Amino acid sequence: MAELTREQIRDLMGAVMKAQGKTLPADDSADLREIGFRSLDFSELALRVEDEIGDELNFDAPGLRQIAKVGDVLDFIEQLQSA
Amino acid sequence: MTARRRTTALIGDDNTVVVGGRTVTWRTLHKLPQLPSPAAVLVDNGADALAAVRHHAVHGTELLVATTSRVDLSMREELGESGFAVVIAQGDEQSVTPAKLKRVEESGRVWLLTSGSTGRPTRIGHTLESLTTVTSQQQPRTWLLPYSPGTYAWWQVVTISLTQADQGLVVIEPSELETWPLIAAEHGVTAASGTPTFWRQTIYRDTEALAKVPLEQITLGGEPVDQTILDRLREILPQARISWIYASSEVGASIVVHDGKAGFPRAWLDRDPDPDSERPILSVDKDELIITSPHHGAGLDGPVRTGDRVEFVDDRVLITGRLDSDEINVGGSKVSAGLVRNVLMGHPAVAWARVFPRKAPLVGRMVAAEVVTSPDLGPITDADLVQWCSNRLPDYGVPRRIKFLDQIPQKETLKSDV
Repeated sequence: MAELTREQIRDLMGAVMKAQGKTLPADDSADLREIGFRSLDFSELALRVEDEIGDELNFDAPGLRQIAKVGDVLDFIEQLQSA
Repeated sequence: MTARRRTTALIGDDNTVVVGGRTVTWRTLHKLPQLPSPAAVLVDNGADALAAVRHHAVHGTELLVATTSRVDLSMREELGESGFAVVIAQGDEQSVTPAKLKRVEESGRVWLLTSGSTGRPTRIGHTLESLTTVTSQQQPRTWLLPYSPGTYAWWQVVTISLTQADQGLVVIEPSELETWPLIAAEHGVTAASGTPTFWRQTIYRDTEALAKVPLEQITLGGEPVDQTILDRLREILPQARISWIYASSEVGASIVVHDGKAGFPRAWLDRDPDPDSERPILSVDKDELIITSPHHGAGLDGPVRTGDRVEFVDDRVLITGRLDSDEINVGGSKVSAGLVRNVLMGHPAVAWARVFPRKAPLVGRMVAAEVVTSPDLGPITDADLVQWCSNRLPDYGVPRRIKFLDQIPQKETLKSDV
């Protein structure tokens, strides 16, 4: 499957935020709660990534961990793609 | 064994039947060679299907009629093992595969195949009498017959024409579905019954042509009926009475609503039986519609669990979809796919929508949708629709992934599995 770059994932994350009338800050250390990025938004981002790469992501592979900042989301999706 | 047979079946024998480009009557339809009994008659056109029905009305032979495409080879085997000769009818010619099981016929029995929305089609026993649910004297009408032969909805229209005077038929073959309004206008169709998908497709393709059909009666059934499609039909055909019917092979035509609103009045639930009418008893148990119907199929008397899910909205009971597929659980919050679909189709630019769950991380399932937009209302984006839904639904009910299709999907049953 064709993996997305971190920048492409960021673009998709921005699109999710935009659809909710919000803006994704440029800073990876931005707090997800403060910018209003919720679990539904994270789920939507995952579906957008799946649609782009044409394959399902395996969420069991990396195990559960805390995702609190924008950079955590990008790291996590990047890691999922290579899992 | 003998099933009760209606003796008035052929009152409509001189009614006009337009089929395959020819105008005939029931009486002058081509005759099928003598059918075995029981027989499963498989057809690929409306004329042969009607000929099989008239043969049954005259001779009372046990009959199942369906399209060739609905009955695959393994189902034909099953029919043979259940005592049916399988007859492939093509005009004056027919090929007959004799039954593998010899049994006594049930004279007067008509078999229907369920639509299969709950799995593999099953046989439901009826008679012409139990299928004839419109028994009051009707004003003269010409009926459109777009349904697939052998379905419950098809029998409903066919029995009106066969059992009442001045009830003509205009048969629409699958190849004619895209242009049916032109055919209907040419032959003066005044009454038409179809699924909501059928009506949406018609509006989507050619609203102007539909408006020229002199319709006095419009009926919707076979799928959940939403307010948007009722309102749209009212705008296009203000002179017509618009009704929706809840009907199935199992419980027959059980709910008929003429007030132009989606759903039925809550006051209709749990009413006492009325000995003077054939009014079914409706109730709800754990969100499921339960019906005790006088029009039921053989062996289905008493309360029947329909498998259809309902929701209460103000004083109405809305039928939102199948119980096993309508509810979408988004991270523990439950939403009805049918209600989300209604919201999407309430958007002026949406001609059709399907709502379904999609597997997603964290929340388990998310609401997703496919839509067809109306070509004459300009471009529309998924963000527009998300915004529309966000203003009308809780967060978890908003479809987050929306795919745009080029045309409204439709199956042989005129349904689209919404």
